[in-house]
Amino acid sequence: MYQLLNIDDVFTLLKVFFMDGKSLSDHAVGYGGEKGAQYSEARFVSSVDENYIARNGKFLSIQEKPSKGIGIRVLVDGCMSFGSTDRLNKKAVENLIDSLIRSARQTRREEPIRLSEEKAVQTRWKSTVKLPFEDVSDEKKRDFIKDLDQTVKEETGGAIKNRIVFLNTKKEDKYLVTSDGSRINSNLSYISILTMMNADVKGKKEQRLLGLGSTSGWEWLSKKNIKKRIVKEAKKLVKAVRIAKKVEFEKPIDVVVSGDVSGIMAHENVGHPSEADRIMGREGAQAGESFYRDLMNEGEMGKIKMGNENVSIIDDPTMRGSPGHYLYDDEGVKARKRYLVKDGYLNELLLNREYAHEFGTSSNAASRSNSYSREPIVRMSNTYFEPGEHTKEELIEDVEKGILMNSFTEWNIDDRRFHSKYVGLEAYLIKDGEVTDKMIKRPVLELTTKSILNSIDAVSKDYVSRMAACGKSDPMQPVPVSVGGPHLRMRDIEVR
Amino acid sequence: MGRFDEELLQMAVDQASKSGAKEVIGELVEEDASQIRFSNSSIDVNKKWDRYYLDLFLSKGRIFSLGRKISTLTIQDPNPKKIKNRVPKEVRKLEGLPKSKLYWGMDDDSHSSYPEVKGLYDGNIEDFSDRAPRLVEKTIRESKEAGAKKVAGVLYFGKRKRGLLTGYGNGGTYKTSHCQATVRSFHESGSSGQRLVVKRDLSDVEKNLSDAGRKAGELAKKSADAREGKEGTYDLIMSPTVGANIFGNLLSGANPIMMIAGMSCLKGKMGERISSEKLSVKDDPLVKGGLNSRPFDAEGTPSKKTSIIQDGEFTGLINNTSSAKLWKFMNWKKLKFWVRPKTTSNSELGQIGMTGTENDPRTLIPQPSNYVFEPGTYSFEEMISSSRRPTIYLTSNWYTRFTNMREGKFSTVPRDAMFLIEDGELKRPLDNLRLKGDLIEMAKNLDIIGKELEQVKWWEVNTPTFIPHIKIRDCKFTRARQ
Repeated sequence: MYQLLNIDDVFTLLKVFFMDGKSLSDHAVGYGGEKGAQYSEARFVSSVDENYIARNGKFLSIQEKPSKGIGIRVLVDGCMSFGSTDRLNKKAVENLIDSLIRSARQTRREEPIRLSEEKAVQTRWKSTVKLPFEDVSDEKKRDFIKDLDQTVKEETGGAIKNRIVFLNTKKEDKYLVTSDGSRINSNLSYISILTMMNADVKGKKEQRLLGLGSTSGWEWLSKKNIKKRIVKEAKKLVKAVRIAKKVEFEKPIDVVVSGDVSGIMAHENVGHPSEADRIMGREGAQAGESFYRDLMNEGEMGKIKMGNENVSIIDDPTMRGSPGHYLYDDEGVKARKRYLVKDGYLNELLLNREYAHEFGTSSNAASRSNSYSREPIVRMSNTYFEPGEHTKEELIEDVEKGILMNSFTEWNIDDRRFHSKYVGLEAYLIKDGEVTDKMIKRPVLELTTKSILNSIDAVSKDYVSRMAACGKSDPMQPVPVSVGGPHLRMRDIEVR
Repeated sequence: MGRFDEELLQMAVDQASKSGAKEVIGELVEEDASQIRFSNSSIDVNKKWDRYYLDLFLSKGRIFSLGRKISTLTIQDPNPKKIKNRVPKEVRKLEGLPKSKLYWGMDDDSHSSYPEVKGLYDGNIEDFSDRAPRLVEKTIRESKEAGAKKVAGVLYFGKRKRGLLTGYGNGGTYKTSHCQATVRSFHESGSSGQRLVVKRDLSDVEKNLSDAGRKAGELAKKSADAREGKEGTYDLIMSPTVGANIFGNLLSGANPIMMIAGMSCLKGKMGERISSEKLSVKDDPLVKGGLNSRPFDAEGTPSKKTSIIQDGEFTGLINNTSSAKLWKFMNWKKLKFWVRPKTTSNSELGQIGMTGTENDPRTLIPQPSNYVFEPGTYSFEEMISSSRRPTIYLTSNWYTRFTNMREGKFSTVPRDAMFLIEDGELKRPLDNLRLKGDLIEMAKNLDIIGKELEQVKWWEVNTPTFIPHIKIRDCKFTRARQ
């Protein structure tokens, strides 16, 4: 009747009693299957956030926050449920799965959700870190902020009266396990710095919110000379307050936009509408739909004209060190570079496994989640216009009358991503092929996506980028992305 | 639910005080929240969040000091062992931190009683989870019958238990329920209508959801065949959804932290006329059914109403004790030195800066509870019929962004049904317009305030807002002409 337990049995029993997050995730996927899930997936995430907030060099808040939890998805009879718990024990996880399966079974869908078949992967990946955050003293981190603030203050002659710096570091260890055999461990290291600068000169005011970030370690700050870049932007902000004047342009002119502006255009006007979940209406009540839904009736992928032939737009999560970097997405699919628009034609959408199945193809690894407590959904990573062959100077020398828009302030776009607005912050008049010293105050580009992409006649070979927190879904899931790219020359643009 | 152990609060506060923290706030939260998301008239996903955590706010420093050392510790799934291990370490860590210039301490007043807040919890939430999918399906059906070709939306519901204890012995425990829905119905490509349901009590929830579905469907149908709007100046009727977003941006500036951060166009305007005299707004943590209503704030201060705008005059800021002290120090020339700076009972453990999820770091800051607008006398129908000048009726908007938050200059994008009103009648649906505005100028141009308040909270409105339809004169609309 009684059998002696062998060492493997003992080990298994011990694992059940003292389960860590990874064992619990393995157990969750197995338990989901036992209870009837066609597909189950568990993500254990353990992270430590370190957050410094300073105003004018004085600290307002310094915090370190560890967090752990498991996010679980189950697909039952074609209906999906997602849940999360911060209770890392077997009973809590099983209760959660029972409740997810019950709610999936209470759901009725005419069209069952199906996932694309993808290769199961067992791997481990991590971001490249030379100087881990824990090896940098708290004092050194504080000194960086104080020094940055002091330099901005001095270099701008005190014109930026309100300087707020948010420095955030995050270490995130993730274990993803799926019922179709993927097991992926990842260790990501994020660093970001967000500055909010308010410049005041003789009653005139301008504001600049600048985000920079990377998936690397503390070394990023010196390697990319982040302090110098922020100081440079601060000086430009003050210059804009001091000398920019409103100019009325009666006729359309040429506009050259920097990587800062081309990056936000790539993100808002092309990246978002390329998200397959929007196209298919899943974000209908939140982030909205996509004008691609109508556009895609015009023909097959690769044959729908989006803009001039020199326009190619890429979303690439594989760029090491970039804010939107990952090698495997949150459904375990290997990441790759994606040409959303190639040589002026619609080329590829951003897909997760659900929508890859819907479009009869494979996922291109666009599924991301910003926390264990959020479901993975279709997201961008690093989105940009592919650099061309010209220098920035070559773009400008062929402009008789126009503006160079280096940065922007207010912007927005309708929820089908077609009617957009970008208001310039640092902008100069171009005359007879040269950038003049004349700064234009808040020039407004209020353009459709089509008119932006059709007006581009030259793309520079340079590339700059910054970090943004891209918001989508409900509850909101900001994820780090980079927005950047080359300079673009846009012909015959109405500037207000 | 069922893990909530109130004794952990006392243990944590005692442990922190014993370890050397001068001031302590313990907040224990157990939450069981659900969401159903739907689109294309089908449920896409059911979600459940199981959360149980203890937040401890700790401070150290002298009473008469410009700022104090602060820290917030979050213990997920707390138990006595975790408290004993982690609290002393966190208090020791305070030693090595610089003072926060934002934190000036709490009051040591003790409070023996708290106001009763009606309608915080409805027992119907207990079995709501089983009813919810059918209610969503019914909402979708109602909307389709009213003209929608497809329906999208979200239904949130759940319950929460919150316990609070401060080092001064203030606090208590209460539980809440909530139900919050957005229904967005589509008729043809580009024509849509949206309605909200925001409630704490679930007695009429089936009817509320069905009404929202039907009205969203009607709006979607009515806004089909929209014509491109012409740029220019119009009078504007804002639905409660739009008003809550635009006026919410104005009201969020009535907070010293927003002023200090350069994110308020109200700085320096206290006591001035900032809007039409028809506008009066309060921060009200006691309003029945308010999604942020509660008997006390995070400092254990009894909840009370605060007037922000009264008859057009900017009358008050929302504060916690610390921000009230800081604000008084920064404005010592203007404020009477003999008057003790007072909290308005708006202290919360909230997030500042770029926030991602509820797991991000929190600290003690003043935050609004519910905004409550004083209703006027006009019905929505009277507002339309009295419109003799070209007027636009906006039912929803999104993507409000500022050129400069200190100046309050912004633009926002209408989404869903938008109509042109001429000669007192809804004439035709419009599309492709953008509202360009200035918060103070719009508040001053407020012409009519409606009489029926609706509670608004959704993707574009964070602070629950009880607001009627509002009419504003002379608003500028632009569009992408190219």
